[in-house]
Formats: sequence, structure tokens, C-alpha cells
Amino acid sequence: MGAEVTQVSAFTAVLAHALCLAGLAAAHSLAGRGALLSDPAHALRLLVVCEAPLVIVVFSLLRRDPKRCSFLKAAARGLLGLPIGAFLNAFGAIVLGAPVGIKYWIATTYWSCLMSLFTFVPAACVFGASKVDWQNVLSHSIYGTSSNVADYMISAPSHGAVIGAWLGAWPMPLDWERPWQEWPICVTYGAIAGHVIGMLVSLILIVAHKRRVRVKAD
Amino acid sequence: RRKKKNRAAAAIATADRGREAMGAAVAEWTVAAVLLQVAGLSLFLYGFFPVKPTLPGFSGAESYRAPSCGPVGCGEGPALPPDQLRSLYRELSEVPHVYDRLVLMVIDGLPAEFVLGRGGKPPAREMMESMPYTQSLLAGCRAVGYHAKAAPPTVTMPRLKAMVSGAIGGFLDVALNFNTQAFLDDNILDQLHTIGYKLVMLGDETWIKLFPTLFYRQDGVSSFYVKDTVEVDFNVSRHLESELAAKDWDALILHYLGLDHVGHIGGRQSNLMTPKLKEMDDVIRRIHAAVTSIQDNSHRTLLVVVSDHGMTEVGNHGGSSYEETDSLALFIGHSVESSHCSPYDQKEALQVDLAPTLALLFGIPIPKNNIGVLLPELFNSLADDQKLRTLELNSWQILRLLQKQRPAFCSEDCVDSKDDFGADMLPESTEKKLCRLLSKAFASHRSSLLHRDSNFRSVEAAGLFGAAVDSYSGFLRHASEWLSHRATDKPLYLLASAISLMIISCFSLAGIISCIFKGPPQIKVEHHSELDLDKNWHLDEVFILMGIFLYVASLGSSSFVEEEQYIWHFLTSTLYLIFLIKTVQSILKESNSTLVHRSETKTFHKNNSSYLASYKLIPGQQDGCKLYTVLIVLVAGRILRAWYQGGINWVHFPDISKILNQSDSSIVKSLQTISVLAVVVLYSVSLMLLRTRRILIIGLWLSHLSCGLLVMLHIWKSQVDTSVPINNHSTTSIAQIFYVIASISVTCTFLLSPWIFPTHSKEAEPTSSSGSNPEKAHGLNHSVFLTGVTYTMFWCLLQLLLQQPINAVPVLLILLQIISSVIYFSLEKSLHRQWVQVVAMQFLGMTGHFGLGNTNSLASIDVAGAFIGISSYSTVLSGVLMFIITYGSPLLLYLGMVVHMSVKDSNDISTPQQWSSVLSRMIALPCLLPLLVNSIALTSYTIVLLLMRNHLFVWSVFSPKYLYVCAATVCTYAGVLVIAMTGAYTCAVLSFRTRNYRDKSVDQIDG
Repeated sequence: MGAEVTQVSAFTAVLAHALCLAGLAAAHSLAGRGALLSDPAHALRLLVVCEAPLVIVVFSLLRRDPKRCSFLKAAARGLLGLPIGAFLNAFGAIVLGAPVGIKYWIATTYWSCLMSLFTFVPAACVFGASKVDWQNVLSHSIYGTSSNVADYMISAPSHGAVIGAWLGAWPMPLDWERPWQEWPICVTYGAIAGHVIGMLVSLILIVAHKRRVRVKAD
Repeated sequence: RRKKKNRAAAAIATADRGREAMGAAVAEWTVAAVLLQVAGLSLFLYGFFPVKPTLPGFSGAESYRAPSCGPVGCGEGPALPPDQLRSLYRELSEVPHVYDRLVLMVIDGLPAEFVLGRGGKPPAREMMESMPYTQSLLAGCRAVGYHAKAAPPTVTMPRLKAMVSGAIGGFLDVALNFNTQAFLDDNILDQLHTIGYKLVMLGDETWIKLFPTLFYRQDGVSSFYVKDTVEVDFNVSRHLESELAAKDWDALILHYLGLDHVGHIGGRQSNLMTPKLKEMDDVIRRIHAAVTSIQDNSHRTLLVVVSDHGMTEVGNHGGSSYEETDSLALFIGHSVESSHCSPYDQKEALQVDLAPTLALLFGIPIPKNNIGVLLPELFNSLADDQKLRTLELNSWQILRLLQKQRPAFCSEDCVDSKDDFGADMLPESTEKKLCRLLSKAFASHRSSLLHRDSNFRSVEAAGLFGAAVDSYSGFLRHASEWLSHRATDKPLYLLASAISLMIISCFSLAGIISCIFKGPPQIKVEHHSELDLDKNWHLDEVFILMGIFLYVASLGSSSFVEEEQYIWHFLTSTLYLIFLIKTVQSILKESNSTLVHRSETKTFHKNNSSYLASYKLIPGQQDGCKLYTVLIVLVAGRILRAWYQGGINWVHFPDISKILNQSDSSIVKSLQTISVLAVVVLYSVSLMLLRTRRILIIGLWLSHLSCGLLVMLHIWKSQVDTSVPINNHSTTSIAQIFYVIASISVTCTFLLSPWIFPTHSKEAEPTSSSGSNPEKAHGLNHSVFLTGVTYTMFWCLLQLLLQQPINAVPVLLILLQIISSVIYFSLEKSLHRQWVQVVAMQFLGMTGHFGLGNTNSLASIDVAGAFIGISSYSTVLSGVLMFIITYGSPLLLYLGMVVHMSVKDSNDISTPQQWSSVLSRMIALPCLLPLLVNSIALTSYTIVLLLMRNHLFVWSVFSPKYLYVCAATVCTYAGVLVIAMTGAYTCAVLSFRTRNYRDKSVDQIDG
């Protein structure tokens, strides 16, 4: 079976997620404490710059069919996926009420690039243009049914990021007058938190999946 | 347990009688649940908005004696003639009256900020310059002005009542604002009348409605024509000269409405504002000149300039923001004159303080239910002991009120309670604190009097006097605050039973719906197709349940209630984004499976003979169409969100409506014209879809066209009129013609549409009627479609006529959202369950409600539109119009649901006997789900309101929202009634016609 060839070990998954987290941490240490509050555009740019190469490299290495598709091609897919995913995320955010003023334009761009790195780029690197896989990653039925570790690795963190960002937007209309209520600060916090939680969930799912497979094999 | 019983009963009932009877049972249960809800709601309203316990009757001579705790029945003395009463009062009060004549000038809607500035700063220069005389009086220390905080709701009638009686009325007074009735409580005007004052009233006729028999002379003007800013004030000022020359009156009341009208038209920054302020300043100058010229000992006149409420930046009022409650109380008279003053200090008072101040100044008893406190600056001309006496009289009156509301306030207990050491340390109840303050005040008052009599040391006397004044004012302020903020004792058992009624009704609605889902299996079978939904919960369904839960949870937070528009927009957009994702997913799935199942998909699409899909689309086009429709809904929703910033806290942020308001009016006009044209074109297109040239259809098209022309005519006329603020009759008659034509067309459509479409195709053999017969369903679908589209489009035209000009595009956007949703749901039948579709449309309606600029504050209700096309004042008619304007969007969605019903797949009617099952399948969910969702919102918000009854914002945030929730309930009932009536009538007519047709054909065969 073709899937056997590309099956990723749990250790690799942990390593990949750790690398992505390291990118986030590096950006955080570079930007300094509270940078997202004082200058969201700058902090988001750092996040994108640190995270983009890591995500593209890591997930291009994990690409679905390594035999037919070279590493460079997967990376190119990832690079192409970045603006497409950014556009889709920006569309979603604006439709949901993100401000469109010139003041917010740059922050929105970087934020949607970051969201694209969390959601669209990994899938683009791994799946390419495979419609079945895209359909799977969009649906929630993937949990529990998929036999592929990479599916968990991609969908759980990206779903987590979207849900986290969605929940993060709830305090925005409140009259607490805190600086973090500004677009896109609390949404970014929510997205990152959701992404990290999604990573943990995916690791748990992968471990559970491996155990199930082993039991079945026994 | 009751819920279970209900559900069990419903289940047994439905199971027993089978499907034919099920429809009837469902209808009965629904009506029962709705009636339960109405009963619960009215009980709750009765219990939650009670009339506060008040003291009956009028204050008399007894108010000059210390209150006692014993039985009140000291008996009314014989009614004295006015003159004797006047001298009796003056003798008993031991305080000389300070003034003889009163001029009370009410400037409707004038914010105190315009005259006194804000935060200790003088007002803006242009404001100073527009009221030169008033400002010179203030600067010359000949007048004293207060920021008199008005209690919400800031609308005229309750505020006038508060000013004259000193009591803050119940919240529901606002509902009676358009239906003023005679005021029967104790108030200073009646008191002045009893001591023989002659009162003259010029201005707002609300006064005459409140006091129909009181005035010696009167000339009322109506606040009916909101667009009129000139005549309304001229009608007051024209009497000014003769009245000021006449000496036969003792109190003159002037009520100028023009400034409020200016605000309603153009807001605070309107360019009509400066001339209006100049006009008011001139009136003040004339009055002051006249009264100072005859200043002698028997004609000491007090000029009081007050406003009943302020206004927001855009000129509305009704809510509780600082801008709306910041009303003015300006006193001009000899007792306030002093050598030095700082007129622009932020001097805070309450609007109700006017009543005791005037009562004491004129030597009449303070009204019984007054909670105000006298304003000490007005009594500067009195001696120290007289000042203390005024404070004492005020305290006695308030103490009486306290005793009525809390029997614990017995004066003996209060006065005798000795000061305990360490009492300050312990947390004491408010009652104890008030008692302590009062006894301290009485004690220091007594010793101050003693010292004065013994003529001891003046320094000590002054100290005692100061202490007495301090403790009196402490008591008065605290008591007044406590009285005005005290949540009245709510009959909790009544409220609890009301809520339990609502909960039962909510659960029985849920039970009925679950019965329908579980119901006889035949119903479910009909839905089966290749891509039918499995039993699992889907993302959109889970989201809807979660969204409703989140919404209910958000109702508990006052900030979220203030900014509800964000929640609805967020939830609706997310729901449609989920639709988008599901559509993309299904397209991906289909394209994956096309290679294998191409032929089957084709048959599926052929089967899919819904109304709109009868225009054969190849699958690719259909996919594109689905995507576009969802995108249209999303983008239109985002534009709606940007149209009005809305809410309370961020209302000053820029939005499209503000930009358009500032821009040229021709842009707004052309936007309106485009919207009208678009509605007319959309109606023509949808009529063409019917592919029939019946006379009714052509007639409808013509009448719609003429209605569109009328609306355009009205737009052009009223655009011209804003520069000339005089109501003219041509616009009124245009609107009236519109009402007539529209109502006739809609009624005709409703009555006739089931009759015009063929129930059977001509070739169909009568014997084949037992088989599948798509034509029959088309008869039903066609007629419901025609009715629904007619409702929707005429409703849109009505909205374009009534709404503010700026709202034309939002109305069009909501219409686009409806059409797109209906097309989407008709193309994408199998992807979403029907209940998801219905709830999605209801969500759209609520989002549109806020998209039209509504908020949860009473200030955003568009009063000006409520008088379009009404030639004489009618509370009912203008109330109905106001309701139509405010709930335009939810009602539009309910009408759109009729269209949605018609495009549903219903070609599987096997026998004509099953009309009732067709009916129940068609209208059950569109009727029940809105009722359920509304019931959930209503019930949970009622519980929230009960829990929040002691919250600081209960009257300013939660209670207005509750009125909106109640109105939304009425709106749901109306919408559901329309849906149910249309469905039932159409089905009844069609079943009758089918039976006739069959009988006839059977006769033919027999023959």
C-alpha cells in the first residue's frame, strides 16, 4: 500500500511540531516581550519570517509521494500556497468583521500570512493538488477514521488555529478598553494558542493511532 | 417532569392518530405553547415593571409636622379656600416664600453642555456666541445653572412628570409616551393651583394632556410634525408679548419643541442649531427684561430654564448615555445673585431636585412622592435657621416616603437610636446608616436652634449650623439615591411562575419539533436520495446549536447586550462560511467521484426538479452558482456590518452611513433610486420565471411598478423638502396611495394565486393521478412562490418608503441575501437539513435588524419615519409603522421563508388525499423553528433579567433590551402567522380544486 511508504513515525511528528514551535519561540524572543501589543505589524512580520521557512521545509520533507515529487517541488507548492492561503484567510477574517481601513492593512496582511502558515501551507506542501486529501482535511470526519499520521499532523493544528482565532475574536467588541482588544492582537493570541493545542492533540491522536495499529497487528 | 409529560403526551397523541391527525395535533400543541408563552410574558411584565409603592393623595398642612409612625389617618381637614390655604402654609412653614411668580421655560432636548460646558470647561465658542444673553447672566453671577441628570428613559413625558412631581416613574412610562394621560399624582403645579395660582401654558400639548383642567390659559402645539422646526416655536412665541404684559398669571409655562426637532433632523452639529439657540436666547432675554422691569415686593419672579433631556451626537434620545441625560436646570432670580461665582463648574443635580426646590421657594408643600433634594444655592437669601427649616421639611417628606416603602423607618426608632461607638467600623445596612444620619441631623438642628436662642458664641453656632446642614444634606443625598436606585420589591413567586410558564412553553416547542423529526417514517422516506444525509451531526448543525448557546450566554453580559450586532454578524457569517466550506468539500467530493459515477450524478440532477433548478444547469455551472450565492451573502453581510457601526460604546467610529450623511444628498438620493429600481427589476425577473402571462401576473407587475414609481416620487419630494422644513400634504398623499395599492395587490395575490395555476396538466389522465404527478406539485409551488415573492418585494418597497434615506442600500442588501440564500438552498438541497436552512434565514434576519442601524437602546428607534403617510395623529397607526420600520429585516426574512418553502422539493405527492401532509411538511419547520429560537432567546433573557435585577445597568441596558426582545417575539408571531396562513390557505384551495377536478373527470368517465 502506498500509504505505508509515507507513514510518519511518532518521533518525526514530535520533531516536526517541535521545530515549528521553535520558530514561534524564536520570533517571540527576537521581538521581545509585549511586542505584539506595541507594534503588532512588526511582531507579526517577525513571526511570519521565522515560521515560513521552517514550516515549508518541515512539511516538504513530509510530502505525500516523495518518489514522484521532489523536495523542491513541494517547497515551491508551499511558497505558492502561502499567498493563496493568506488571501483565503484574509477573506474569511474580513467577512467575519475584521476592519478594512488603511491603518489595519499591513497587520491584516501579516496576520493572514501567519494563518496561512498554520493552515494552508502545510497542506499545500504535503498534498499538492490531490483533491481527495483536501476534501479530507476540510472535514472533521478525518478524526478517528484516517489511517495516515500526516493527516492528523496537518488537520488538528490547522483546525486548532482557526477555532482559536475564532474564539479569540470574541472579546473584541467588549468595552474593557484593553490594548490587546485591537485587531489582530487577540485573534493572533487565539490562533497561536489554538495551533499549539492542536499540535498536542495531533500528537495524542498519533500515539493513540499507532497503539491501535499495533494492537490490530498483534 | 412537566416537559417529559408534555413530550410524552404529544408523542402519544401523534402516534395514536396517525399522520392525517398529526398536523392538527402539532398545530394545537403549537398554539397552546404560544399561548403559554404569552401568558408567561405578560405575567413577567406585570411583575417586573411594577408601579413603585407610592403615597396616595396630595401633601397638605400635615407636611409641616414631623412624621409619625402611627396610623396615617389623621384625617383630611376641611378643604380651605385657596387664600386661607396659602396663608396657612406660609404660617406653618416658618419660611417666607422667596418668589411670587414663576416662569418655567422648557427647551425640549437642550443638553446642558450647550450652556454650561462640560467637565468644568465653558462650552464651545460658537455655543457661547449663539446664546450671548444667557452667557452674560451666568458670567455676571445673576443666574445659576446645574447639570440636572435626567433618569432614563429620556423621553419627554416621563421627564415632565419627574420635574413636576419629583418622582421617577416606572420604566413602562416610555410605552405611554405616545399616549399621554392625565397625571394624578401629587405635583407642584396642582399644589400651586390649590393655593390659588393662575397657570398659563404655551407649548407642547403633552402638558395639556397631563393637566387637562389646570390651566387658566393655554395654547398647545403638537410634537407630531417632527420635520417642522420653525412653526412649532413661533406658535409659542407669538403669545409672549401679550402674556408678559399681562399680570393676571402667577405661573407661566413655556415649552419649546423646536430644538428637539432640529436634533432629530440633523443632530447636535446641525446648521439649524445655532439659529435655534439664538432664538431661545432671545426668548430668555425678552422674559428676563419683562420680569425685571416689574420687580417689586409682590412680583418677585423666578425664571427657570430647564430641558427635559439631552440628545446624542446624532440628535436622538431615550437612552441613558451622558449626552442624553445631561439636561439643563438654569435659575434666574434675585435669590441666586451673588458677588462672585464660577458659572462653568460642573454642578451636578438631579432633574427631580426641581420639584422640592420650587415647592419650598413658593411656600407650598413638597409633593408626596418626591425623591429630589432642594438645591441650596436658591435659598441664599434666607437666614440660617430658615435654611435649616427648609432642609428639615425636605427631610420629613423623604422620611415619610421611606416609611411607606420600608416600615423599618419609624421616626422614633431613628431619632432615638443613640450613636454607638464603633458604628462606623461595622458594615451597617443602608437603612441603619440613613437613620443614623437623620438622627444626627435632627440633633444638631435642635442644638443649633438652642444656641441661637441662647445667643451663645457665634463661632460655635456657625459650627453647629454647618454640622446640621452637612448631616441634613448627607441624609437627603443618600436617601434620594437609595430611593431612586432601590430595586423595588419584586414579587419573586410571580416572576418565577412566569418564567416557569415560559420554560414549559419553550420545552413543549422543542418537544413538538423532536416529534416531527421522530415522526412517522413515511415522511423521512420521501427525502431519500443518493446523497441523503446520514444520521450523524454535521458541522453546521453543531455550530448552530453552539451559536445559539453562545448567544444566550452573551446575553448575560451588559457589554455584549450593548454590542449585540457584533455577535449576530459573527455567528451568521461563520455559519455561511461553514456553508461555503461544505459546498467546496462537496464539489471536491463530486469531482472525485464523477469519473466513476458520472451517469448516476446525472440522473440525480435530473430528479432534482426543484423550481429554480428547472432551468437546467450543467453541473459545473451549478457548482459555480452555489459558490457565488454564498459569496454574495457573505459580502453583502460584511457591507451591512460596515454600514452602521452600531452599539453603544463604539458608536462614534466611522462607518458608511456617517460618510454618506456628510456627503452630498444627491448621492443618497441616487442610491435610493438605484435600490428602488433594483427591487422592481428583481420582481419582474421573478415573475418572468413563472413563464405565464396571466392577467393577474401582469396586473401585479404593473401595480408593483407603479408602487416603485410612487416611492421614487416620495423620495424626490422629501429630498426637496428637507431644506424647507414644512410638512406638505403631497408626500402624505403619495404615501397613502402607496399603502392602498400595495395592500390591494398583496391581498389579491394571497387570495387568487392558488386559483390561477393548473393543478393538472391537460393531457394527464385522471386515472394516473395516483401516480407521481409533478404538475400538481408545480401548481402548489408556483402559487406559493408567487405569493412569497409578492410579499417580499412589496415589503421591500414599503421599507424603502419608510426607512431613513440612508437605509435604502441595506434593505437592498438584505433582499439580495434572501434571494441568494433561497437559490443556494434550492440548488444544494441535500447538503443541509431543512431546519438548518430555516435557522440560517432567521439568523440573517437578526443580522439585518442590526444592519439597519437598530441597537438595543431605545434611542435608535426611528420616530420620524413613523408618521409617513399619516394625516392625523393616531397612536396605533404610528406605532404599527414604527414596528414595521424597526423590525423590517426579520419580517422580510419571514416573508422570504415563504419563497423558500415554494422552491423546496415536493414532487412526491402520491395521492391527492395527502394535502394535509404536504401542508405539515411544508410549513411545520418554518413555523416551529423561529418560534423555538425566539422562545429560547426570550426565556433565557427573562431569566437573565431576573438575575440582573439589582445590576447597576438594569434600567439603562437590560430593560430596554427586554422591550426589544418582547417586540421581537411579536414580530416572530406575525411572521409565523403569515407563513402558516399562506401555506394553509394555498393547500386548502388546491386540495379543493383537485377534488373538484377528479370528481368531474370521474363523472366524465361514468358518462
